[in-house]
Amino acid sequence: MIYIATFYSHFGSVRFKKRCDAEGIPARQMPVPRTLSSSCGTCVRYEADSPKTEFITPGETEQIVEVLPGDGAYNVKFKAENS
Amino acid sequence: MTAKNEKTVIIIAGIIIGIIASLLVLFGNPANMGFCIACFLRDTTGALGLHRAAAVQYIRPEIIGIVLGSFIVSLITKEYSPRGGSSPMTRFILGFFVMIGCLMFLGCPFRMIIRLGSGDLNALLGFVGFALGILTGVFFLSKGYSLKRTYKLPTAEGTVLPVIEAVLLILLVLAPEFIFFTEAGGGPGAKHAAIIISLAAGLIVGILAQRTRLCMVGGIRDIVLFKEFKLISGFIAIFVSCLICNLILTAVTEGTFFKLGFAEQPIAHNDGLWNALGMYLTGFGCVLLGGCPLRQLVLSGEGNTDSAVTIIGLMVGAAFAHNFGLASSGAGPTPAGQIAVIIGIIVAAVIGCVNTFRTE
Repeated sequence: MIYIATFYSHFGSVRFKKRCDAEGIPARQMPVPRTLSSSCGTCVRYEADSPKTEFITPGETEQIVEVLPGDGAYNVKFKAENS
Repeated sequence: MTAKNEKTVIIIAGIIIGIIASLLVLFGNPANMGFCIACFLRDTTGALGLHRAAAVQYIRPEIIGIVLGSFIVSLITKEYSPRGGSSPMTRFILGFFVMIGCLMFLGCPFRMIIRLGSGDLNALLGFVGFALGILTGVFFLSKGYSLKRTYKLPTAEGTVLPVIEAVLLILLVLAPEFIFFTEAGGGPGAKHAAIIISLAAGLIVGILAQRTRLCMVGGIRDIVLFKEFKLISGFIAIFVSCLICNLILTAVTEGTFFKLGFAEQPIAHNDGLWNALGMYLTGFGCVLLGGCPLRQLVLSGEGNTDSAVTIIGLMVGAAFAHNFGLASSGAGPTPAGQIAVIIGIIVAAVIGCVNTFRTE
């Protein structure tokens, strides 16, 4: 499955990507797709068998979505409280 | 919208915005200033009497239009999302000094592109400084810089700035005595397109910028961080369309909309070092803020109160710039302005360090 994680800061994505690299999960940093959000931050797109919510750093990770077939279709897997 | 479509939409939006920027000068805006977020916020600040520089006082409908355009379209697309709480006072200070940098250069990043499209080569040095400022900011981003997370806020909180903009529109139309307007022939503040034209232009730009996330800072940042050219393509499109439109207008009208060179450019000075340093501060501050002044207006329309606080910081910066002689003029920068820019760069560096190399 393909997932996208978004963050409150660029460094949140750096930290998440490092964690993916350490676990051998194919991942890359990129601008947040417009279809996902109107914000212009950094996200990590990664391929894994689960959303890897254990990689989440509280206060840094905003949400994790699963990329569904079809353009701009997502399934929210995690959303930070009060966001 | 696929990634390819996204890029196409950004380029089309950039072309439209470039044409609008050029036409606004034809319709009455100051030369090479179809749009300038910093200058227009400064003019609005002056109209409210927060500074008394008589040459630059006018409530600019373009600003009102951008915020309301973003507000309306984000309501329609259900992207309106009141949020805030991400270091608002730090953002206020950064907004303040970004304005100091802009008024050293005499323009925001948006006007920098318009000045380039009008043949003003002084803006090239501004662009060099701007890019270096962005690189400095990106260094802090990659080392851990963060102003911490935002939080969901009540709906009413996000509507405060759009409501203020609506009130400003009423004040502009009613023109009560306590609002200051530059007298005819009294300076750039007296040069403006008709209210309805400026407002419509602002609304269109606000809508397009919200849909495409246009941001000059984000464009260069994305190239450095991801080798991603999508965002920057919008501003290249603005430059190209503004340039072509200016050349056409110069050919078919009696006005001069394009003049290549450094000397005697309208509302500009040719002190290269301080043009570069002013935009260095602007680029650096905007990366730490997460977007250029145009982007801050659009985000505030979407309900982001941190961006609204940044706008207030920009306006207070404009008031200080004119009350204390920090703003440049066509004659060049002022000594006080040069000191303020240096202080601004130091403050931005301190904010960068404090929010990057934390011990907690």
